[in-house]
Amino acid sequence: MAEKTILGEYLRGIVKDNPVLALVLGLCPALAVTTSVENAIGMSGAALFVLLGSNIMVSALRKQIPPIIRIPMFIIIICTFVTIIDMVMEAYTPPLYKALGIFIPLIVVNCIIIGRAEAYAIKNNVKYSIVDAFGIGTGFLVVLVAIGAIRELLGTGAIVLFGFKLISIPIYSDTPATFMILPAGAFMTIGVLMALVNYNRIRKLKKGA
Amino acid sequence: MEDVSLFAIAINGIFVKNFLLVQFLGLCSFLGVSKETKSAAGMSAAVMFVMIMASIAAFLIYTFLLKPFGLTFLTTISFIIIIASLVQLVEFIIRKFSPPLYRSLGIFLPLITTNCAILGVVILNVRLEYGFIESVFYGFTAGVGYTMVMLIMSSIREKCSVLRIPEAVQGIPHAFFITTLLSMAFVNFFGVIPT
Amino acid sequence: MTDALLIAQSAMVIGGIGLLVGIVLIWASIKFAVETNPLVEEVIEVLPGANCGACGYAGCADFAEKVVEETAPIDGCPVGGFDVVKEIGGKLGQEVKEAESIYPFVRCNGGVHCTDKIDYVGIEDCRAVMMISDGEKGCSYGCVGRGTCVRACPFGAITIGDDRLPHINKNMCKSCAICVDECPNDILVMASDAEKVHVLCRSNDKGKLVKSVCEFGCIGCRICAKNCPEDAITVTGFLAEIDQEKCTNCGLCVENCPQKTIEMISPSVEATA
Repeated sequence: MAEKTILGEYLRGIVKDNPVLALVLGLCPALAVTTSVENAIGMSGAALFVLLGSNIMVSALRKQIPPIIRIPMFIIIICTFVTIIDMVMEAYTPPLYKALGIFIPLIVVNCIIIGRAEAYAIKNNVKYSIVDAFGIGTGFLVVLVAIGAIRELLGTGAIVLFGFKLISIPIYSDTPATFMILPAGAFMTIGVLMALVNYNRIRKLKKGA
Repeated sequence: MEDVSLFAIAINGIFVKNFLLVQFLGLCSFLGVSKETKSAAGMSAAVMFVMIMASIAAFLIYTFLLKPFGLTFLTTISFIIIIASLVQLVEFIIRKFSPPLYRSLGIFLPLITTNCAILGVVILNVRLEYGFIESVFYGFTAGVGYTMVMLIMSSIREKCSVLRIPEAVQGIPHAFFITTLLSMAFVNFFGVIPT
Repeated sequence: MTDALLIAQSAMVIGGIGLLVGIVLIWASIKFAVETNPLVEEVIEVLPGANCGACGYAGCADFAEKVVEETAPIDGCPVGGFDVVKEIGGKLGQEVKEAESIYPFVRCNGGVHCTDKIDYVGIEDCRAVMMISDGEKGCSYGCVGRGTCVRACPFGAITIGDDRLPHINKNMCKSCAICVDECPNDILVMASDAEKVHVLCRSNDKGKLVKSVCEFGCIGCRICAKNCPEDAITVTGFLAEIDQEKCTNCGLCVENCPQKTIEMISPSVEATA
């Protein structure tokens, strides 16, 4: 097996094993909450917290968990962290909590987290599990922010981040295409993104062959 | 909570707040199973059944166990335990009474556990403060909405198998573009039930 | 309420739910236990597992059950070949005899040798093409070449060659005959290696029309029927057909056919002209 480096494992989570675009997991929150960049960042933050917590705990207990009940154990561990972040967000970030709605408790069935526990944390030590969590979390953040930026920019004509207007398209923002904020816009955006990723992958395969 | 008519719940569950096309719940299974009508139909039936049973069980646990003792923070974990066991139960029943269906569903059956639509329904029942009948009915109509979109999608995808599609778009991006069109149709239902 | 009480109550509630769920599932696993005949499992292991339906049953598991019940013939699975039949026979303690293996045969030599009547742009499916003005080629009986059989084959044994005709890879073909069912023009037919002489045409168009569109089409001249020493060839309308039961592979018809429609195929060659 190839040498594992911290940087290598971290970058792998962003590009090669990107949760949404490569592994096609966690689509529900990726599409539902990306109506703005702010929500996208909030969601990624919550997911990262849960992913970190679950990866660390599963990795620390990996020798103790009997294989036959590992899936229920993962779910219970993940549930704990989800409940924690749910209560914390309800108390400290009410507007974000309201915007993300039911998708905060739904992090528990987000296939990314169970998937990483099953595919990585149960087999690797705590150090690399932490790195993996950060890598996957960053990959998730990148995709969500990308989708959020496209949808917000084209759907409202501007990107507003924590009260600061980052970019604004001059004439377009008078009558923006609100279609992008609607569910249909989400599907179209991710369809285009995935097609681009596929195109890139096919091009690389053809070059390599 | 104010009285919500069953008719309003039905229209909400099936059309206005369709779980797949509007609320974005249950997408992973949607993309994976909607290639063939046979597996789509089987999956939808299983999902609908689990939704109804989960709504009943979750309501009972929430009303008689969690709320009276002020343990509502245990909602997520109790609900997921109930759903996981219900899915296991459904697996036993299907295996006994219809082995061909069991074999054709294959891996999809255990995957219903992580289907966000099921957990979504039961959590929404709690958040919308529905009573018993409303909760069960919402579970049922959410299942109907899910089934409807699954069957439409699988019929379209089956026909599309003979189209000439650029290689980069084949598969999941193509499915997403079809979903975009379907979702656009459902936008027309917004505002039918005032929120 | 106090923290300790809260923790205790949470633990009890979750523990209680877990216990209840555990009891229900244990009860269910006993009540809904499925009795499997271990012999059926053994037969399933031996079968190819393609679930193609060529046996006529709903998948390999269904066929295995029916074979053990003795309602299905032991040699019902063509895909597994004689090896599988032998193994099933061994498990059930029954004698088996080998049958001749059969492969699909392409009864058309049109393809690039047949002119196109229209310039078709549309769904890449032979059935779709046949729905539009009787096909895109001058001969409406011939092979369309758009690959319906290629897609129908569960084993990827068929490819469309440069001659715009299907080519069957006998090593990958498992004789399930699904391609025969799917072809809209009935071009494919199952034939064994012993049947070496075939009429590569399905066209019942008049001879003059056939000659104007296809290099190798049958014009119904009856020369083959007259020359056959076994009377194995019948010409109905403008199409010759060989009765393989009577044919002795003598090859006289092949020599005499003015259109070179009838061909003698050697078994080592792929199942097409």
